[in-house]
Amino acid sequence: MKKYKILENKANLKIQVFGRMKEELFKNALSGMASALRAETENEKAKAKRITIESVDLSALLVDFLSEALYLIQVHKEIYNEVRFIEFSDNELTAELNGQKVERFGEDIKAVTHHGLDIRENKKGIWEATILFDI
Amino acid sequence: MNFQSISISDFIKVSDWLWEIPQSFRGDMRVPARIYASEALLEEIEPEAIEQVINVASLPGIVKYSLAMPDCHTGYGFVIGGVAATRYPDGVISPGGIGYDENCGVRLLLSEYSEKELRPYLDKLITEIQTEVPSGLGRGRQMKLSIGQVDKILEDGVPYLVENGYGEKEDIENCEERGRMEEADALCVSERAKNRGRDQVGTLGSGNHFCELQKVAEIFDEKVAQVFGLFKEQVVIMIHTGSRGLGHQNCTDYLRTIMQAMLKYKIQLPDRELACVPFNSPEGQRFFKAMSAACNYAWGNRHMISHYVRKAWKNALGEKGNLRLLYDVAHNIAKVEEHEVDGQKMELIVHRKGATRAFPPNHPDIPERYKATGQPVLIPGSMGTSSYVLVGTEKSKEAWYTVCHGAGRTMSRHAAARAVSGEAVVKNLQSRGIIVKCWSSRGIAEEAPMAYKDVDKVVEVVHQAGLSRKVVKLKPLAVIKGE
Repeated sequence: MKKYKILENKANLKIQVFGRMKEELFKNALSGMASALRAETENEKAKAKRITIESVDLSALLVDFLSEALYLIQVHKEIYNEVRFIEFSDNELTAELNGQKVERFGEDIKAVTHHGLDIRENKKGIWEATILFDI
Repeated sequence: MNFQSISISDFIKVSDWLWEIPQSFRGDMRVPARIYASEALLEEIEPEAIEQVINVASLPGIVKYSLAMPDCHTGYGFVIGGVAATRYPDGVISPGGIGYDENCGVRLLLSEYSEKELRPYLDKLITEIQTEVPSGLGRGRQMKLSIGQVDKILEDGVPYLVENGYGEKEDIENCEERGRMEEADALCVSERAKNRGRDQVGTLGSGNHFCELQKVAEIFDEKVAQVFGLFKEQVVIMIHTGSRGLGHQNCTDYLRTIMQAMLKYKIQLPDRELACVPFNSPEGQRFFKAMSAACNYAWGNRHMISHYVRKAWKNALGEKGNLRLLYDVAHNIAKVEEHEVDGQKMELIVHRKGATRAFPPNHPDIPERYKATGQPVLIPGSMGTSSYVLVGTEKSKEAWYTVCHGAGRTMSRHAAARAVSGEAVVKNLQSRGIIVKCWSSRGIAEEAPMAYKDVDKVVEVVHQAGLSRKVVKLKPLAVIKGE
C-alpha cells in the first residue's frame, strides 16, 4: 500500500494519503507533508514534541494535527519522521513527534486547508484522504 | 467534489466585460453572481472557480452581488479574485474572504533615473538587493524580534517603524490605511502566529512573491502619470509580498475558531472553507482585530523591505538620489467602508481576496496629492511580463471600488516545472535583457510566464469596464523571486 501520492494541482500542493487505519492515515499525511517540504536535515535530533488536539470532527482533526505539526516545523526548524499516538479518537488526539533538526527547507507551505477534504474508507477497506496545502 | 456544469449560456451578458449568473440559478443564492471578464477570459475560468463565486452569493448578509475579477481562479472557499460586501454590523465576516496571506499586496518605489542611466549598474543593484533582502524559505533575517517588538508592529504598523528611524514620513501617507489599521489588537493574535513572524519582518517569502526592477515602458495617461511622478523609461522597483508565516498562522487559527463557533449561529454553507460568523459577534470582532494586526505586520514587512532596498540602492550607487514610495495596496483584506447602495449610504464589510481597492478622485481616504486624480492601483504581472499602474475611477463604485490583482495561474506548478526548465526560463528572460536572481531554478520554472493568464488581457477588461484607467505599463529589467 502506498503511503501517499503527490497530485497535480494548479496553484497548490495536493497530496493523496492512505492508511490501513485512521491513525496510519494521519501518520502518512504527516510523512507526505514532511516530504513535500524538501528539508535538508542536520545530524542533530529534534527534541520530542507532545501535542494535544481537540476538533469538531475527523476532517478538522486531520487539518488541525497537520497545522500544529507545520507550526512546530517552521518555528523550531525541524522535520518529524516519527509519530506515536498516545490517544486517538475522531475528535481528539495526543501524539509525540520525533525527528531531525533542519538546515533549510526546499518548499514553503503556508497552510493546511480544508479544501475538498473528505476522509473515507474505500472498497478495499483502506482509509484515504486528499489534502490541499496552500504554498 | 461535483460541480454543477455551467456554460456561457447560463450567464446573462450585462456588457462585453460583465457577466451575471442570476439569483434564481441556485436555491441558496441570496444575490446574483457577477464576473468581470471578456468572453474569451470567461471561457478560460475553471468550473470550480465559478462554483465558488456562486457559493459566496449564499453568505448571510451579502449585499448586491458576489463579484469576481477577470484574473479569478480557484481558492479556498472564496475564489481568488473575489469581492463580497456584507451588511454592517451583523453581516458575516469570513477568513476565506481574505485569504491565508493576510494583506498580501504590492508597493512601487520610484527612482529619479532612466533605464539608460542605470543599465551599467543593474546587475550590481539587483545583487545588492538580493543580499540585503532575504528571499525566504526559512531564509529569515538573522535578527529575531522579541514578542514585544512584534506586538508593536502588529498594533502600530508603518508609523511605529518610521518613528524608530526606518523609512520616511511620506511612506506613511502613501500607504493604504497609512500603514496601520487602528482596529488592530495584538492580544487577538496567537502566540503561535507571533512566533512564526519573529524573524520574518523584511523578508520576501516564496512562490510568486518578488522584488523587481522595472521601467516605465508605455504611458497611457500623461496627466495622471505626471501627478504620480512617472516618466518614460523611468526605473522603478515593485515589491510583492504579504504577512508571511504570521498571517498564514493567524488565518489558520481563526478558521478553526470560526468553524467551531458557526454551529451556535446556525449558519449553513455549501463549503466549509466559507466558514464565517456575524461581524458583530465576539468571534467576528476578535478575528477582525487580529486580521487588522496581521495586515499591519504585512505593511511593516513591505516597509522594511523598502528600507533594505534603499540601503542596497545606496550601496550600489552611492548617494545617487532617493526612492519615493508611489503607493502601497493590499489585495487580501477586509475593510469596513461606507458605500452607496441603491441611493443610500451604508457601511459594509468589504472582503477583497486577490482583489485591489481602487478609490476614485476626491475620496477622503486617499492621500491629498492623489485626490485630484484618484488612487494609484498597482497590478503586478507574473515573472518577466508587464505590470501596470492604474488609477481609480468613480465607475468602480459598482464593484465596491475594486479591481483585479494580477494575472492568475493557468498551469500547475508541477506542470510548469515539467514543461520548462528553470535554466530555459532564465535564458529566455536574459535574451530579453532581464536579469533573474533566484536561489533555486525549480522555483523559476514554477513561476514561468506561461503558467499564468495574460496580464495585458486581464487589465484590459478592468480598463474597458471602467473600473480603473491604465496610467502606465511597466516592463521588468531584473527580478528577484522569493524562494
